[in-house]
Amino acid sequence: MSAESLCHKDREFQSLKLSTFPDSRRASAALFVLTGAVVCALPSFASGYAMTLAVEVMIAGVFASGINLLIGYTGLVSLGQAMFLGLGGYGIAVGTALLGWPLWVSAPITLVVVAMIAAAIGAICTRTRGVEFLLITLAFSQMFYGAAIKLRWTNGSDGMSGIPRPDLSQLGLSAHSPVVFYYYILTVSALALLLLWRIVNSPFGSVLIGIRENERRVMSMGYAVANYKIGAFALSAVICAVAGILQAQYTYFVNPDSMSWQVSGEGVLMVIIGGTNVILGPFVGAAVFVVVKQALSLITDEYNLFFGIFFMLVVAFFRGGILGTLRTLIGKWR
Amino acid sequence: MQLFLLQFLNGFQLSMLVFLLAVGLTLIFGLMNILNLAHGAFFTMGAYFGLIIAKATGSFWAALLIGPLLPFAAGFVLQFYVLQPLAERGRSTHLDLALLTFGLLFATAGAVEYLYGSSFYSIATPDLLKGRIAFLGIEYPTYRLFIIAAGISVAAALSLVIDRTLIGATLRAGVDNREMVTALGININVLFALVFGFGSALAGFAGVVAAPVMSIYSNMGIGIVVTTFVVVVVGGLGNLKGSFYASLIVGMTDTFSQAFFPEAELFAVYALLIAVMIIRPQGLFGAVGRLA
Repeated sequence: MSAESLCHKDREFQSLKLSTFPDSRRASAALFVLTGAVVCALPSFASGYAMTLAVEVMIAGVFASGINLLIGYTGLVSLGQAMFLGLGGYGIAVGTALLGWPLWVSAPITLVVVAMIAAAIGAICTRTRGVEFLLITLAFSQMFYGAAIKLRWTNGSDGMSGIPRPDLSQLGLSAHSPVVFYYYILTVSALALLLLWRIVNSPFGSVLIGIRENERRVMSMGYAVANYKIGAFALSAVICAVAGILQAQYTYFVNPDSMSWQVSGEGVLMVIIGGTNVILGPFVGAAVFVVVKQALSLITDEYNLFFGIFFMLVVAFFRGGILGTLRTLIGKWR
Repeated sequence: MQLFLLQFLNGFQLSMLVFLLAVGLTLIFGLMNILNLAHGAFFTMGAYFGLIIAKATGSFWAALLIGPLLPFAAGFVLQFYVLQPLAERGRSTHLDLALLTFGLLFATAGAVEYLYGSSFYSIATPDLLKGRIAFLGIEYPTYRLFIIAAGISVAAALSLVIDRTLIGATLRAGVDNREMVTALGININVLFALVFGFGSALAGFAGVVAAPVMSIYSNMGIGIVVTTFVVVVVGGLGNLKGSFYASLIVGMTDTFSQAFFPEAELFAVYALLIAVMIIRPQGLFGAVGRLA
């Protein structure tokens, strides 16, 4: 490689670090504020059905954001992140129902345990790359899925019910009310998004993006690539577990199906629809996905068939995702 | 001792069934660098098409011969008209293609559910292979011995074709240097599509072979394909001989843990996978991979 092209590569790397497309920053900020305003005011004008959908979109969005940290920013395609979604739900179920801990103890302990499990799994999985990584994450998630079906003390395939929602009585509120629960989900999702945004824009995040672009170069710059990958894997898992906790609270129960590899696939699909390595992409993808899924369930029982076809079409023709395409368009227009 | 022999044969039988799937997956990956997650779909497709043929003709053997033709055609079309053009457009790396086949896996399961519902079906064991054979103090179902024989025959035939024939030589050359094979005047796209179809046909063959001992249902391919993935990772992706040995290791681990340590049944195969990943991430029989 000539010095000139090396220099060019460096500049490319620099701009990637800031934002893949410099001009899109203002546009995405505007989009951010606008969405934020609509989302905050939603309960004042939307129907109960729309709010249910919005809650589902936000939970799915948090899950997909966790996956995006791996796929979009680190370049590791995992087909097993649903195991952490399930572990999050099972974590608070076991903590509150079996051990009798209050929710505010169970939830943090769940996240810490998930982080430790994910670090161990990540240490094994990140020894491989590419399709092998995809296969081994899949195998791990199948292991947890199988365990959840077999284990008797978590009620096997029936799952566990009676998951508590946060106790907000001191504020004079009840989380069982759809509006209050909506704002609870909104707050947690916003915090998760903020955390993710901080991670991606930190020096740690830059190294992750570097790994995605050119792993060998990052390695030769002296970074311990393996540790960064494990870190990304664990962080991704924690965010997925947060989504799992929210999901379990939303439905009041958790069952092994939340860990199936179809759920992992749905998460990956949302990331691709929205656009990888865009911070809001997963939420846009989740919105499209949830709405399409709802519409499909109204017209057909054959969800698998259409899910599969939809998945194939998106991967084949829509690789950049909605926000990726938008960003390219804005770039052309300027 | 008799119990051990019985379990050994059970393990062997499972190993050979998984091998029929794993070898197709390995062949496709080794040659085209495509991880076909839809491999389980071809297994299901073969079983159902076999079921149709068996019902129409009343013959298991007709089902066994004709059943794999549908997966063959489907695999050929998938590679020639979908995956190959996408790969050529350069937009899709092999990870994208893997994700596309992931969608196909669910689309097929959904389509089968649409056509046949979620009922369970079975193909009757052929008269010739009914009953049991007594040897070494045990009695073993003849059909299960047939599965073992089928697996070994396919392994032997494949190793002969790949090591000793012109087709095999072309394939091996295609793995090593694709451009050079094209320059020698071989239409590599057709060759690849044929191999893809052949790998899919093997999965379909496994589906028909499994039909008398397993139930046929819409999600049958999704369960077994995960075991197959463990096999190809343990054996080293793209390594044909590795896939044979790894099938034996995984099949035996699964069967023996079920028989002697029922509590560990679920974890034994994954524990094996984890151990292999820690000791040799490139697979037990894989060559040392290049970095990045």
